[in-house]
Amino acid sequence: MSSDHRAEDSSTDDDAASQTTEDDPQVPEPPAPVPGPSVPVAGPSIASSREKPNYQLRHTIRGHTMSISAVKFSPDGTLLASCGAEKMVKIWSPFTGELIRNLNGHTQGLSDIAWSSDSVYLASASDDTTIRIWEVDSGLTQKHLKGHTKWVFCLNYNTASNLLVSGGCDGDVRIWNTAKGKCMKTLHAHLDFVTAVNFNRDATLIVSCSLDGLIRIWNTADGQCLKTLAEGHDAICQHVQFSPNSKYILSTAHDSAIRLWDYQTTRCLKTYTGHTNAKYCISACFSVTGGKWIVAGSEDHKAYIWDLQTREIVQVLEGHSDVVVAVATHPSQNMLATGSIDSDLTIRIWTDRGTEAA
Amino acid sequence: MNESLISPFNITHPTTVQTSLFALASFARFDPTGRYVATGRVDGTATIWDLDTRAAIRILDGHVKAVSSLDWSRHSRYVLTASKDWNVVVWDLASSCVPAQRCTTLRFDAPVVSASFHPRNSRIILALMTTGEAYLVDQRKAHRGRVELCEVQEESDDEGAGASTRVRSAITVARFDPSGKHIFLGTNSGYILVFNTHSKTMVARHKIAGAGAIKGLEFTKTGRQLVSNSADRTLRQFTVPTYPAPSADGAFIEQELEPTHRFNDPINKTAWHAMSYSPDGEWLAGGAADPANHKIYIWDMSNDGQFASALDGGREPLLHLHWHPTKSSIASTTNQGNILIWHSPHPERWGAFAGGFEELDENVEYEEREDEFDIEDEADMVRRKMKEEEEEVDIDTVPEAAKPRQIHHHGVQPGDEDVAWADEEPDDDQQDWKMRVIMEEDWDI
Repeated sequence: MSSDHRAEDSSTDDDAASQTTEDDPQVPEPPAPVPGPSVPVAGPSIASSREKPNYQLRHTIRGHTMSISAVKFSPDGTLLASCGAEKMVKIWSPFTGELIRNLNGHTQGLSDIAWSSDSVYLASASDDTTIRIWEVDSGLTQKHLKGHTKWVFCLNYNTASNLLVSGGCDGDVRIWNTAKGKCMKTLHAHLDFVTAVNFNRDATLIVSCSLDGLIRIWNTADGQCLKTLAEGHDAICQHVQFSPNSKYILSTAHDSAIRLWDYQTTRCLKTYTGHTNAKYCISACFSVTGGKWIVAGSEDHKAYIWDLQTREIVQVLEGHSDVVVAVATHPSQNMLATGSIDSDLTIRIWTDRGTEAA
Repeated sequence: MNESLISPFNITHPTTVQTSLFALASFARFDPTGRYVATGRVDGTATIWDLDTRAAIRILDGHVKAVSSLDWSRHSRYVLTASKDWNVVVWDLASSCVPAQRCTTLRFDAPVVSASFHPRNSRIILALMTTGEAYLVDQRKAHRGRVELCEVQEESDDEGAGASTRVRSAITVARFDPSGKHIFLGTNSGYILVFNTHSKTMVARHKIAGAGAIKGLEFTKTGRQLVSNSADRTLRQFTVPTYPAPSADGAFIEQELEPTHRFNDPINKTAWHAMSYSPDGEWLAGGAADPANHKIYIWDMSNDGQFASALDGGREPLLHLHWHPTKSSIASTTNQGNILIWHSPHPERWGAFAGGFEELDENVEYEEREDEFDIEDEADMVRRKMKEEEEEVDIDTVPEAAKPRQIHHHGVQPGDEDVAWADEEPDDDQQDWKMRVIMEEDWDI
């Protein structure tokens, strides 16, 4: 923590310290011996854990007229998609903040969107119980997936984008063949709203979480339940995803805590706290383009950035005037998008040009 | 990468049919990643199936007669189809044309029985004709050419007599070894001929005593073991010798190979249509040419070739089988053209539905830990938890095990010049190419 330009950040340092325990001052020391065994990765990660992000507001995008539920960058980084209660998907340029296209067709509000890995298609989950797959360039519906019996709440593509997994408010998780637009398998996964579903890197596993308080891991090939992680009764989990290397899962819960789990051993490795989350389904994500951060929205109208390793809050993004429910990280640049509900209705784009450039 | 979570037990052999694909095919081959299976049909088309969705994703229509064989390039981007219409066609799956367009056509002077890519470079192709000639076709600019692989004819000492009476034997099987360094040819007179791929010269000739015409050759992934199928209805496993570099004077090794194992059906004496090793080489599957049943025999090679099990796939006789490149799975083809995908099912673990439970196979005496019911001070607990959470985590390095392992091929030294030769002018079959999902036409939107 010795570099000179860190001096002005001492105030945020104190902020972070007040949120955590007295063990924290030791943190920089213990990791130091680690670089020895795991040479190539540990080196840069230690260095970057001492850095702090410096995200600045770039654009405030107005256009939504009803609560925003999700924002997602396209995997090639050129577009940003957002959706909300107003029955359409909006496609934006994250660099200029301009609206590029509206995708119209759903008859009810939308809860989630997901990009195919080639950035050509976008799938949207709607309260009209269907999923639409859009060709983003033409704005046309390519497939209309019908099968869920209640609102569709969440969905995700696998890396090959030949499969789509979706979770509904009936507690079912469905696996779809995207090329045919047909449901391949239905897992009666949970007893309550399925709030998040995610494939791991090679699509062998699916993780799902639900308002019944459970996180379950499924074998994609045969639909068998492989594991259940139960959080405490007061900690209903609402968002879950695999880490970029699929070794861990990240979950957000209603006890205002975000947890990183080793699902092989069912051990909670990290807990990130300091934000407020007791009511809404708030998403969290990994940021790996610069330092390694965890980013999440909060009910106190802010977005928080934690250091992955030390669990300290390293930056708080202020500006929204209502609950920040949606966050997304750009796939290759230091750029974040946040979306808010009811009285705010804006998407904000934040960028970090790095301390060198500043 | 999730083998430990999905199957806690070691990889074993398949036992039951998981899916059947209605493919009208005469054979089916998994690609090297194990995500796809390609099937060849008598009407001249080939189909690529996605095993995730169990749906046909590409139709390769390029032949006017039956597809006789098919091969995948090492990262599955290119597919080669050989046909009785005298052509070999190479397809590029990265192209997103619908329908798929051929990228190269090689024309021969006879119906093609089989063709395969060099394991390191898809621009080198080995093809075998029904007339018993094998050709090595090199499409690279610097090495362009088509060479027939000819058995060295003895200039026998007893002037002419021996040489002229000896009829040139027809080649019945042609295969690259897994490293691509050598080509193995089986002949109708019971010989296995070994050629150096680079110099295209014969380096060895092995007599297989009592075998008769060689009908098939298969290697383990490392290339250390070889199994042959022959007219005497016996599968023979051999340990592949190490061959020296080809000598300038054209000398070659003349050696009888003694099988380490022989497999046959002692009762019905059925012949074999196909055989395939498991990825680790610990199992060998043989597809019986039984006219009334679909039978696959499995031998345990790690247990001295002991017979392990016979899989019964029903009434439709078997034509072909192929073992999955990484998993305990087999694709077998029936004479009705259906592809049976075999797997070893995992028993449903109901304990997995409850958090914090573990299923036990038998009762265990539970021993209470010394501190199990100690009441820990809450502050201590929080402190301990905080201490634990200081451990570094790595969220974005892909574990080594998830990447394809580099196989050490038998008889290949680092810096081998034959390998370097094959790597010249590489094809663009990169590991990170992606098969584009082609949306099927849909009229009910």
